[in-house]
Amino acid sequence: MATRTLDFPKMRFDRRKLNPWHVTIFLVVTVLVAVPVAILILGSFSNAKMPTDFTWATLTFANYPEVWLDPGTYNILYNTVVYVAGATFVGVSVAAILAWLVERTTIPGKIWIYAGVPLALAVPGLLQAMAWVILASPRSGFINRFAMDKLGFESALIDIYTLGGMIFVEGLRLVPTAFLMMVPLLRSMDPALEEAAYTSGARPLSTARKITLMLMAPGFVAVTIYQAIIALEVFEVPGVLGMPADIHVFSTRVYMLVAEAEFLPTYGQANALAMLYLGVALVASYFYWRLIRRSERFTVVTGKGYRPKLTPLGKWHYPAIGFVVLFMVLAIILPFLVLLYTSLVKTLQPPSWDVFSTMSFKWYSWVFDYGRFGSTLTNTFQMVFATATIVTVLSFAISLIVVRSKFVARRVLDQMAFMPHAIPGVVMGLAFLWAFLQFDKFTGTAMFGSIWSVVLVFVVSFIAYGTRTMNAAILQIHSDLEEAASVSGAPPWRTLWRVFMPLMMPSLVGIWVYVVLLSVRLAGAPLILYEGRRTEVLAVLIWYLWDDGEWEAVAAMGVMLMIGLFTLVLLLRGLGFGRSMAQAR
Amino acid sequence: MIKIENLHLSYQTDEGMVHAVRGVNIDIAEGQFFTLLGPSGCGKTTTLRALAGLETPADGEISIDGKLVYSGPKSINIPSYRRDIGMVFQSYAIWPHMDVFENVAFPLREMGGRMPKSKIRDKVLAALSLVQLDGYEDRPAPFLSGGQQQRLALARALVKEPKVLLLDEPLSNLDAKLRDEMRTELRDLVKRLGITTVYVTHDQLEALTMSDVVAVMETGLIVQESTPFDIYEEPRTRFVAAFIGQTNFVEGKIDAAANGAGRVGSVATSCGSLRCILPDGAGIGDAVSVVVRPEDVYLADQRSVDGDNMVTAEIAEIVFMGETLECTAIVGAETMRLKLHPSTRVEAGQSIKLVFPADRCRALAS
Ligand SMILES: Nc1ncnc2c1ncn2[C@@H]1O[C@H](COP(=O)(O)OP(=O)(O)OP(=O)(O)O)[C@@H](O)[C@H]1O
Ligand SMILES: [Mg+2]
Repeated sequence: MATRTLDFPKMRFDRRKLNPWHVTIFLVVTVLVAVPVAILILGSFSNAKMPTDFTWATLTFANYPEVWLDPGTYNILYNTVVYVAGATFVGVSVAAILAWLVERTTIPGKIWIYAGVPLALAVPGLLQAMAWVILASPRSGFINRFAMDKLGFESALIDIYTLGGMIFVEGLRLVPTAFLMMVPLLRSMDPALEEAAYTSGARPLSTARKITLMLMAPGFVAVTIYQAIIALEVFEVPGVLGMPADIHVFSTRVYMLVAEAEFLPTYGQANALAMLYLGVALVASYFYWRLIRRSERFTVVTGKGYRPKLTPLGKWHYPAIGFVVLFMVLAIILPFLVLLYTSLVKTLQPPSWDVFSTMSFKWYSWVFDYGRFGSTLTNTFQMVFATATIVTVLSFAISLIVVRSKFVARRVLDQMAFMPHAIPGVVMGLAFLWAFLQFDKFTGTAMFGSIWSVVLVFVVSFIAYGTRTMNAAILQIHSDLEEAASVSGAPPWRTLWRVFMPLMMPSLVGIWVYVVLLSVRLAGAPLILYEGRRTEVLAVLIWYLWDDGEWEAVAAMGVMLMIGLFTLVLLLRGLGFGRSMAQAR
Repeated sequence: MIKIENLHLSYQTDEGMVHAVRGVNIDIAEGQFFTLLGPSGCGKTTTLRALAGLETPADGEISIDGKLVYSGPKSINIPSYRRDIGMVFQSYAIWPHMDVFENVAFPLREMGGRMPKSKIRDKVLAALSLVQLDGYEDRPAPFLSGGQQQRLALARALVKEPKVLLLDEPLSNLDAKLRDEMRTELRDLVKRLGITTVYVTHDQLEALTMSDVVAVMETGLIVQESTPFDIYEEPRTRFVAAFIGQTNFVEGKIDAAANGAGRVGSVATSCGSLRCILPDGAGIGDAVSVVVRPEDVYLADQRSVDGDNMVTAEIAEIVFMGETLECTAIVGAETMRLKLHPSTRVEAGQSIKLVFPADRCRALAS
């Protein structure tokens, strides 16, 4: 062995050598993503009654015919298609109109729209759906009671326990994210592209059709697919609105197969059903990515960044304002007020003057005295903080490798980190359920039934979001900045600490807060993994209390949760996520 | 051909109103190459966009080819798509979702009345060959180089044979060498077509080499409008003199009024009394700046006499540029730049005598 080598060969050797740090991260991600999915696939071919009974001898094809010869499956398929298509259409159209109004017209109060629409993120699907049940359930919903008692209608005016109701509520829920995706789309288009059409002799309508719409199309389709994936995977809305009326979609059906497992173990079937669900989501994601890639070709060098000419609304001025206000009322104000009202009354009944005089904070004290609340709150805080922190750190590590290193498998790492995006929460919960039970069986630990089971599932679910945001943030920091620091004599770790971290801080904190926001809202995976008190988080408790008919208590919790979430969303904006938006107008 | 009268235009911004154009008057003859020149933010683009109908002025009148397209008093405002113009944008604004052929065919397809396919094809191919893009018609537009995109934008602007061509800094996104080539090529092309052209730039070289008439703008107003030669030789204000070419300024007061031919008088400056051309109507005692171009100064020789604006100077710095010798010289209290013939033998620190020829010195009201 040479004790001294020339610099040149040594450098070459270093390049090829695998950094153990990179390998570790790679293995961690592989274990987190690939293993549960593999076990899920394997489980779909097993007739084991419980995941713990799994042996190689239980392998069979029987689950697939079982699921696919059941006419109920096709009914679910139909419901799912109608529901996803409807909700996506509602959500994307409303978001498109809102985005167009703020970006391209003379509508007043734009800063309020930019700030207000994303506030809808703070209304969890679970609470949104419950508020609408209180308003529009066929028998006791306020709207229907009012119509029947006061206006003399024979039967209920609207029934929220329908596909239409689910489409409406989930559509509302999709609007804020679709809006946030569509605004930059509209903004990044060089107005000169439209002006070039005018000076070429094209009328405004012809320009809108042949230029604006065509340029927006790829981005628009990408947003639509993205939102459809979200609608497909959401569990809370169909869970609250569809399940009571026996209207099932994929996510609720998979949940049912697991939830009823205590009487009639059908895990293998749940997996087999989840396979199709997973397949659809993966295919949709694939097309999403192809579109994103294609639309990069469409990015145009823009000249001077003056804003495009705004379309005067003319006689549409008031209808446009009305549209925005209506959205805000339906998506944010009304659900909040309904829950606030419900949390303050003695027993749930439609509003009247008498009721207002009897209002009290009784249900809030009830909630705090309720035995399960304290432990649930602790669990939730623990789960949310752990999830957000792990996601932030892990995404940072992954993105650093993907963007800045020469690690051989960095592309695979990037793709693997993105894949969970396409895996519906319920399916992810199911995959991890199998993984945990196997893990516990072999190691004798108790992962299943601990809050860490929920943390791990959420970490994997949000890693896609985390790395995507982080990749973009790291790419923005020109490597010249770091090189300038090293040339100034700073060792690598000091460069990282002094130059890189301060620049990354807003992104790190932003991702952290956003993951908190996401993980506290979701009920799907935690419900699948629910195993006694120690795994109970707020969303799960709300779900079960609702099931037990304790609606007033649910409302009290919902109000407190929403106030917390509003604060978080405002904090996110304060941190500069979307600050550019507020500044722009 | 193009007539703009008393044009005013302001923008409403968050910080209040920006009065970008403040009473511009322009008269452009048929077939003329007219350039709007000025520093960044002076309102060139705004004027051009008002002409194209992309901005609505606050007041004034614009007519193209004898047809009133905008009039504040008469409330006329013909939209862009009904003005007989072609325009090239600074960012080129090539539609990325169309190929080269479709980009150029677009204006033809938008023309009233259906044009037969074969005719569209002929016209597009002719326009492409005009800008030397033959053979590129099936290329997706984003797969063109910067220079090719620029040509494509030009072909698109020319294809419907408009009466007027508007160009907003079309060369500014090109690299230096390509810019040099395109300057002559562009001028030759529009001159060959005989199309009236309005060209916006902040590059004096482009303005001087390409234009028939240059209008210099400053903060929303045209301060001087003449041929490139006159703009350079007879700047009317200090701003114009400073903006175009390199210039030395020497501050002073008129001490002898103009006498007879050439309006030559005398100005007392820190470099002594300089004889120079005085502005019209200037009187004794007026404060003026004397403008001397670096290339007009020469070293005194035996034939020079004191009356020739001969001054003593000390060379501070010399830079050999090949075709010239650029020097910085201290004259009295002033530092001046000189461009001497490269064969001149001078050294830094040397004391020399310089001549500022009286007919090349121009006093401007300061
Ligand atoms: N859309 C707009 N909104 C608000 N202000 C504007 C807008 N367009 C131009 N201005 C302002 O009007 C003034 C003139 O701008 P203009 O674009 O005409 O300048 P320019 O002479 O073309 O400059 P440049 O050489 O930098 O292109 C500037 O002060 C500019 O900030
Ligand atoms: Mg400009």
